[in-house]
Amino acid sequence: MPDLERRADYFVGHFEAMASNCEVLIDTEDENLAQEITQLAATEVCRIEQKYSRYRDDNILHQINQGIVTRVDEETTRLLDYAQQLYHLSETRFDVTSGVLRRVWHFDGSDNIPSSAQIDALRPFIGWEKVQWHHPQIQLAKGMEIDFGGIGKEYAADRAVLIINTFISEQPDTRVHDTSVLINLGGDLAVTGPRKNGNGWQVGVNSGTSTMSPQAADFSLKQGGVATSGDANRYLKKDGIRYGHVLDPHTGWPVEGTPATVTVVAASCTDAGMLSTMALLHGPEAEVFLREQEVPWWCQWHNK
Amino acid sequence: MQLKKTQQGPRNIRRQLAVATCSLLAGASHAGGLIASGDNWKIDSALLLYAEKDRVSLAEGILSISKEIDDDEFINARIVTDVLTGSSPNGAVPSNTAQTFTNPSGNSTYTEAANTTPLNHTFKDLRNALSVEWDTPLSRSLRGTIGGNISREYDYLSTGISASLAQDINQRNTTLTLGFSLNKDTWDPVGGVPVGFTVMPTSSTNKKAIDGANTDKTVKEILFGVTQIINRQTLMQANYSWGQSDGYLTDPYKILSVLENDGSGNLRGTNPYIYENRPDQRTYQSLYWKGVHQFPNENVLNLSYRYFWDDWGIQSHTVDLRYRFDFDGGHYLQPHLRYYQQGAADFYRQTLTDGEEASLAYASADYRLGEFVTQTIGLKYGFEFKNGAEINFRAEMITQEGKDRSADAVGVLQNQQLFPDNEAYLLQGGLSLDSDMVIKYIMRLFK
Amino acid sequence: MIKAFLLSTCISLVLSACSLEPVQPWDRDILAQQKMQLVADPLEIYLDEHTYFSKEASSGGQSVGGGGCGCN
Repeated sequence: MPDLERRADYFVGHFEAMASNCEVLIDTEDENLAQEITQLAATEVCRIEQKYSRYRDDNILHQINQGIVTRVDEETTRLLDYAQQLYHLSETRFDVTSGVLRRVWHFDGSDNIPSSAQIDALRPFIGWEKVQWHHPQIQLAKGMEIDFGGIGKEYAADRAVLIINTFISEQPDTRVHDTSVLINLGGDLAVTGPRKNGNGWQVGVNSGTSTMSPQAADFSLKQGGVATSGDANRYLKKDGIRYGHVLDPHTGWPVEGTPATVTVVAASCTDAGMLSTMALLHGPEAEVFLREQEVPWWCQWHNK
Repeated sequence: MQLKKTQQGPRNIRRQLAVATCSLLAGASHAGGLIASGDNWKIDSALLLYAEKDRVSLAEGILSISKEIDDDEFINARIVTDVLTGSSPNGAVPSNTAQTFTNPSGNSTYTEAANTTPLNHTFKDLRNALSVEWDTPLSRSLRGTIGGNISREYDYLSTGISASLAQDINQRNTTLTLGFSLNKDTWDPVGGVPVGFTVMPTSSTNKKAIDGANTDKTVKEILFGVTQIINRQTLMQANYSWGQSDGYLTDPYKILSVLENDGSGNLRGTNPYIYENRPDQRTYQSLYWKGVHQFPNENVLNLSYRYFWDDWGIQSHTVDLRYRFDFDGGHYLQPHLRYYQQGAADFYRQTLTDGEEASLAYASADYRLGEFVTQTIGLKYGFEFKNGAEINFRAEMITQEGKDRSADAVGVLQNQQLFPDNEAYLLQGGLSLDSDMVIKYIMRLFK
Repeated sequence: MIKAFLLSTCISLVLSACSLEPVQPWDRDILAQQKMQLVADPLEIYLDEHTYFSKEASSGGQSVGGGGCGCN
């Protein structure tokens, strides 16, 4: 059972999934309803985690990554189609096959930089264009891997919102129908709609001690989602050079000059996540890219 | 190590990304029906007021309801009602004396003043029509549509079926369409169907000759089309269609003036009007092209051209242009220009001369078979609400200008206008919304 | 009929022979808009076709079906 906590005029449910603290904020006074909604969110997020976790050997992703010809289900079809579209939209910067680089890059704060030879040895196994994806069948070359890690959390947040929205709209008591819910999966947020009072949920963008552009701010989230990409604590440092964890699939090396984090507000959490990830892949041009997208955004830069 | 700069710099991908994410999230799911659109009916409605100067007036209302009954499978039903009143040219030419005609019923007469286009004033009709259509995917790249329609007027009944197949090829950038339709129509004119080339009585004591058997018409059409995506902003369509009408194709209310054969242009002394007579088959074909293009400022150009020809000798060219200007806040303006030019049917005659009807197989003075130009100029204003509803209005002016045939304009007729030029005005209002919005609105009324 | 059939086939061949770059599904955001449909406002087109059917000798070309009336 997830635990539930009463706040001023809403409930907060907690659970752990996808290596994150997950919260469900429910705009209701009804404890049973809050309990049910939290449970629904937890079930959906855990389902997606199990189905697409790369750390398990009993799911469809594992089978695909063995290089076996796999007939995939409808949901996996949509994810693979989406991965393909992201690959093209990002001009091949966003590539779900680049996860194999983690075999040599371990961003543990040490100075353990892989050799060029090690990286070059992996490059033949990277590149979405090498994937044999013809609906409904996929086959990877031996040694290649697909990793939905860059999409999974945002997708799970949006899916939870969809399921909760359906659940709420199917309640026989029509007074429940304007209940708003916010899902927070370790900083990636999605909401079902505005709160009963017509306002959104208050969301804060923290800068900590870093430089923020534009200035850190609180805002109200009524629709859609928020996602933050980047992690100031995942890097390597050698000879005074900092190696961030955002890897360029073309070279196998970290993208230079990336912001520490990028936060984006968009029509869905997945949209926000993809835009913030692509901004990181633009390195020092992250803000140029973001300005072009006509969405609210914040970039946090490393202190010089 | 750093990614190469693209030449143009980063571009806006937000909307394309939103489309992609939408299909990621919108797919059918184990939880079932996550997107609520399945329960929603789309309702489109429009009211048209059409008025010709001194002629026909028409009010027409349409209600169209569509629903997605399954993934990508749609049904649509459309109800149309129109009321027509006023006068229509009866085919006779103006004269320098008053002219008397019988009404279609044959029970009464009407007299038209000298030097005016003779009109049949008994035009009054109520039409009700219903059509339904079912559109469904047959495979990943093939769609099928079947439909049926029925239209009932006081004196006319039309029933029909249609079917089409659309095959996507070339990564869904090209669509091939094959369509077919079949209509069965029946006339039940007031006073019966007159025998062609027989005399229209000029008093109610004489009766017209009636053809009891010949009232049905069959129309079949085949269409072959190609729709091609040219680029992200441009779409084109090219169609070839072939059609054939068989049966009673004459207009039972239209007559011809018969002149003395002395070149005076005077009506012949006795029985100056005879009923028109047309062939019982017509084969027609058309080539149709349409392009839709969106400019960087999001304005949209919609341009089409049609070349039409038939074995009655008619050829026509139609150019239709609509250009939509989008403004902030969901407003748009759309000017409309249409140009139509038609050549006459081989048997089109503005008048006949005495005795000529015996040597002719067919003749009609219906202005719609003559040589003329139709020009339309219009403006539409629309407003799209944030919730997807739309309201729009348009106003148009239509002019029809014909050519008087010098061969028919002899003697005194040279001072008359033989082709009945026309001027019409059109006003239309439209409203589109979802059933969901209607329900919400009604519920708010009761709160 | 055969001649015209060939003509419209040729149009399509010309279209694809210009080696058009296929527009991918994720680039269809503009083409998906209602105002970019071949028939953006079906009721307006229906009313126009009905009006001109009763005033002119030509009809059709864009699609099949829709039904007849005694107005012509």
